Amino acid sequence: MPPPAATGVKPMRNPLSPASLLEGASESGYVRSLIAGTVGMLALLGVSGLAFPDSVAGDLAGIVFSTSTATSTARLAAPIVLAGLGGIFAEKSGVINIGLEGLLIISAFVSVYAASVVGVGNAVLGVPALAIAFLAGIAASTFLSAVFAVVCIEFKADQIIAGLAVWLIALGLAPFLSTVFFGGVNTPNLGVSVGWQYSATMVVFATAGSWWLLNKTAFGKHLRAAGENPKALDTVGVSVSQVRYAGVLLSGVLSGVGGSALALSIGQFVGSGETMVQGKGFIAIVAYLFGNYNPLGTLGAGALFAGLDAIQIRLQQLGYAIPDTLVQTIPYVVVIVVLTLVGRTQIPEAAGEHYETEE
Amino acid sequence: MNPAVHLDGITKRFPGVVANDDVDLAVERGSVHALLGENGAGKTTLMNVLYGLYRPTEGTVRLDGEPRSFDSPRDAIDAGVGMIHQHFMLVDPMTVWENVVLGNEPTTWGGLRVDREAAREAVVELSERYGFDVDPDATIADISVGEQQRVEILKALYRGAEVLIMDEPTAVLTPQEVEELYGVFEELTEQGKTIIFISHKLGEALSAADDITVLRDGVNVGTVAAADVTREELAELMVGREVLMDPATSPRETGERVLEVTDLCVEDDRGVEAVSDLSFELRGGEILGIAGVDGNGQSQLAEAITGLRETASGEIRYRGESMVGQTRRDRIDRGMAFIPEDRQERGLVMSYDLTENGVLGSQHDPPFARGGRLDWGAAQDHAESVIEQYDVRPPDADAEAESLSGGNQQKFIVGREFERDPELVVAAHPTRGVDIGSTEFLHDRLLELRAEGKAVLLVSSKLDEVQGLSDRLAVIHEGEFTGVVDPATVTEEEIGLLMAGESLDDDSVERAAIHDAGGAPDEVDGGAADDEGVDA
Amino acid sequence: MSDSAPDGDRTESLLARVVAPFVDRSVAERLVISVAAILLSIVVGFALVLVSGRIAQCSTAAWTMPLTGIGFCYDPIEVYVVLFNGALGYPFAVGDPGLFNPAWTPFNLSFGLTLSETTLLIFTGLSVAVAFRAGLFNIGTQGQLVVGALSTALSVLALAPLLPAGPVAGAVLIVVGTAAGAVGGGLWGAIPGALKAYADANEVITTIMLNFVAANVAYVLVLEVFRAEGSSVVATRYVPEYAQFPSVLFPPSTDFALLALAGGIAFIGALYYFVEHTSLGYDLRTSGVQAAAAEYGGVNAKLTTVRAMTLSGALGGIGGAVWVLMSEGRWMASIPDLGFDGITVSILAGNNPIGVLPAAFLFGVLKGGALEIGFRTDVPTELVAVLRGLIILFVAMPEFFRMIGRYTGVGGTAGGPGGAASAESDASAGGDGGEADA
Repeated sequence: MPPPAATGVKPMRNPLSPASLLEGASESGYVRSLIAGTVGMLALLGVSGLAFPDSVAGDLAGIVFSTSTATSTARLAAPIVLAGLGGIFAEKSGVINIGLEGLLIISAFVSVYAASVVGVGNAVLGVPALAIAFLAGIAASTFLSAVFAVVCIEFKADQIIAGLAVWLIALGLAPFLSTVFFGGVNTPNLGVSVGWQYSATMVVFATAGSWWLLNKTAFGKHLRAAGENPKALDTVGVSVSQVRYAGVLLSGVLSGVGGSALALSIGQFVGSGETMVQGKGFIAIVAYLFGNYNPLGTLGAGALFAGLDAIQIRLQQLGYAIPDTLVQTIPYVVVIVVLTLVGRTQIPEAAGEHYETEE
Repeated sequence: MNPAVHLDGITKRFPGVVANDDVDLAVERGSVHALLGENGAGKTTLMNVLYGLYRPTEGTVRLDGEPRSFDSPRDAIDAGVGMIHQHFMLVDPMTVWENVVLGNEPTTWGGLRVDREAAREAVVELSERYGFDVDPDATIADISVGEQQRVEILKALYRGAEVLIMDEPTAVLTPQEVEELYGVFEELTEQGKTIIFISHKLGEALSAADDITVLRDGVNVGTVAAADVTREELAELMVGREVLMDPATSPRETGERVLEVTDLCVEDDRGVEAVSDLSFELRGGEILGIAGVDGNGQSQLAEAITGLRETASGEIRYRGESMVGQTRRDRIDRGMAFIPEDRQERGLVMSYDLTENGVLGSQHDPPFARGGRLDWGAAQDHAESVIEQYDVRPPDADAEAESLSGGNQQKFIVGREFERDPELVVAAHPTRGVDIGSTEFLHDRLLELRAEGKAVLLVSSKLDEVQGLSDRLAVIHEGEFTGVVDPATVTEEEIGLLMAGESLDDDSVERAAIHDAGGAPDEVDGGAADDEGVDA
Repeated sequence: MSDSAPDGDRTESLLARVVAPFVDRSVAERLVISVAAILLSIVVGFALVLVSGRIAQCSTAAWTMPLTGIGFCYDPIEVYVVLFNGALGYPFAVGDPGLFNPAWTPFNLSFGLTLSETTLLIFTGLSVAVAFRAGLFNIGTQGQLVVGALSTALSVLALAPLLPAGPVAGAVLIVVGTAAGAVGGGLWGAIPGALKAYADANEVITTIMLNFVAANVAYVLVLEVFRAEGSSVVATRYVPEYAQFPSVLFPPSTDFALLALAGGIAFIGALYYFVEHTSLGYDLRTSGVQAAAAEYGGVNAKLTTVRAMTLSGALGGIGGAVWVLMSEGRWMASIPDLGFDGITVSILAGNNPIGVLPAAFLFGVLKGGALEIGFRTDVPTELVAVLRGLIILFVAMPEFFRMIGRYTGVGGTAGGPGGAASAESDASAGGDGGEADA
């Protein structure tokens, strides 16, 4: 591990510069400047990379524009973007789901478990093992989100504490079950993996679908009303609870897809420490806040965070001797910086509050 | 012919309370019916029964003679009953048409898409039929309160309402918007709709309604035709005794300048300027009233003076000392007291008992704090003394603030603030939601304070209150004073004009001089004894 | 009782004020809910062990369900017996005649380990609790503990050579090391506090992120700079034996020092006094329950946020210091989840400093028992982590227990007044056009 050290880290903060321009921008302007800023930074990096091919910028440009970075970005973006989209549905409806991390963990484990039970290459009723793995992961995550929904909506739990509990339960349960079934917190590798194309396709479809659902359907309008002024929705005869259940369950479904995609793209569940999810659920929250509850913005922010992660992986492979742990820290620091710059977002008026219909 | 609405012997009990006691109410189709009564008389409960929010303990609801039983507002809506709540049930970031069709959206593509065109058309069509001037694509947050109210009415009409219940519809409107609302009433009743509105204002019931039903303590004490009754008779029905309208003010001598505000600008939470270039001053022994429709910058002004909100520009001098950049703590230490409008948010910590609430604001000062340690014994003595002097009930320092009624909470806050021996009291809506007895008590205390030579800035949207108590009356509209007048000589109509943002005609120019810029002090308000009242 | 009290009454009511938090309906209810939540999570854990025992592979059944004859690989009853009995060093003689094990002494290895965990959890629990009281959700105690522990280890290692070895130097080093831990953790905690106060960045997210950052940065620092020579794990050198909390009465291998536990209990008392009986404590908890009212009362909200997070971080940092100076003797990379457990401890304690003691002990038992489960059964020790999550989940839903209480009629006293109060507020809300007027 030779030493060029921290200089390699520096350019990566720059993609965030649009954030400082964001204050006071309107919603569409916000997303636009997010995209424009990211593209602008990439262009700058590309140009400086071409101009000085032997510098760190040159290497970085090589990394950023390499196909392997693109594919691993797609792979890493799936859990962040999908969980982020799920988070939008929950929070728009008025339930802050801070347990996305737990949903990713449980679906990651269950999908791998299901695949190993069916046996890769086998099929049940004509459904191939990997598809079953996905379905199982989604089912597990949806189930856990349903528990969360009941606890928050029916039993008026504090949403933050309940979300935290969802995370901690999954953080304990997945390694527990892995040990029960496989004798260790990490599962054996399945030996196959789902290609990045699948992850990318799912992300694109989920983003487009979420956008349509939120902006064009009656459900989307009810969701928004439930989060902004539940009483207004209640007084026109739409059940706030039902809308909120739907929002939370959708967050479970989408996180389930994301968690399964994460694990199956490697073919293994890693359960040591913070598990293989490593805070992606929390980064997903920041992604949708950064994307201002807009699915397209969430896609952009998720891709940005995943891209950072992908770049650090490549950097290590290239032999820059920044200790890998330190490079892994970059996305977390970026999240903090983003949150600091974005500050208070336009959180739905009634998010986090329990709603009770009168009499 | 059967009445459109007939409530027959409605009784509604809550644990420990009878909100409605055997109330009868008949409302003819195509008429406007006012439900008049004081706060707590049971008006809203009765309407909630009609709207399906509460089930009556006893009695029957009939529509067009048919007995009906509503399990939820949904049933009431389906039966053609619409309610417009005092706090509008609108989703602020959504558009007018989205709000109107919410919950009943027309869809296409097998429900996968809201049919925006059809929805807009329906809204435009309704809005034209009743002569409403509302832009279907405007965002609720961007339109005026009057327009929002019309959106609420459209919502009810879109759902096929034949009977419209309106809870205190004029509470948030300027006098001019109120006139427009009466116009809307006419338009609606001409087309066969029936309107019931809740009010506690005599004048409004007399001018807008065909019939008036007066409720007192949950009992119907009489239904009269508006044409056959006088103001005094109504007042007596409402209160049950003769009413004294004017608190006694005595002549006064003003002391030294306590508060001086110059070119003050303050922004609201969204960063919009809420107070614009305000200037005035206030002397000891004087009550300056600030009247205006809610939401015209009064709250921000009070918060800026008391240190709860940063100023954007301008100067606030308190007893000669600049307060800009000083903290809330600094002001408390210098003897500024504040009776906040939102007593349950700011004025009291609801989960604390009165002993703990009694030290709020003085928690770092002797005798309660010594060397950083709180002396709960001293705190309890203090709370008990406030409770006794200000007649707070129950007289229990260990009672949690949330267990007290609104009036007693307010008395405790007032007591705590007055016991600081302040030089300046900023009182924001000190009697809002407070019963008549406590209101009189609080008014007397404010006058006593004035007699002691203290300065009082009184913000209120109750005209009779500010007019009765103030030595000078400033009317605020969109963050600016549209006039500073002598409350003894000004008429209600003149105040109404000022509240709507109009200036007064030539005769009154002197009073409104404040509005005509200029740096030098104008001679304002010849009526009042003081002179350098206000400058612009 | 308190109206126009003569002086004799006054002391009585002062006493009442001190006792109030414990006899208060809401506190009593909280206690009931905490116990119910623990029991319920034990039941769910029981089912979990049973189900996974059905799925897991084993040659002979560890437990056979009565009546059905179905065999299970794990014996859920044994798991809990081992968990609780083992955590205390097997005081109960299970299966043998006689209830108590005559050979048992409290100063055994297992109980020492349990108390050692308890001691650490007191600090992390207090850390989370103090932030909670200020209305802040500090998920970052873990990171603050990591940073605090590293500051302690490094400062003690740096200072030790300058002092003559011996008990005096030991005392100095312990004090300095603990202070260094407090400073390190406090500064790390101040970061999310300042970000919250001045940039409005949500502390839940920033503290979680800072946990990752702390773990990674500390790891790299030790790996690259401070790693002990020849160590197979990423860890610093050991601090001198005399600079560690001495084990009195308990076997040295327990890594438990009564002195540290006493220190923890002293902190509980101090924090209780601070929160309930000082002006700054009043500021802090008032901003926690009703921020707008605190601001009205002249409390500087931003400063209070930073202060509370700094204090919270400092307590977490002291937890780290104790972990180094009592448990591990050095900083090493695999730091246990003490910070996350602190969240559970605090929530279980109702964020009341006094409640932290029993809650920390319960968790000490769970952690100590987890080791025993690992030794004596085949059940994965991660079970305890699942229980932790379940307890938080159940404690977070008091309404559930109130409902059960209402159905069964149990706890009618707890449910009753609450029900009446809400009905009253309904009535006053319904009782008219209420709060508003012209």
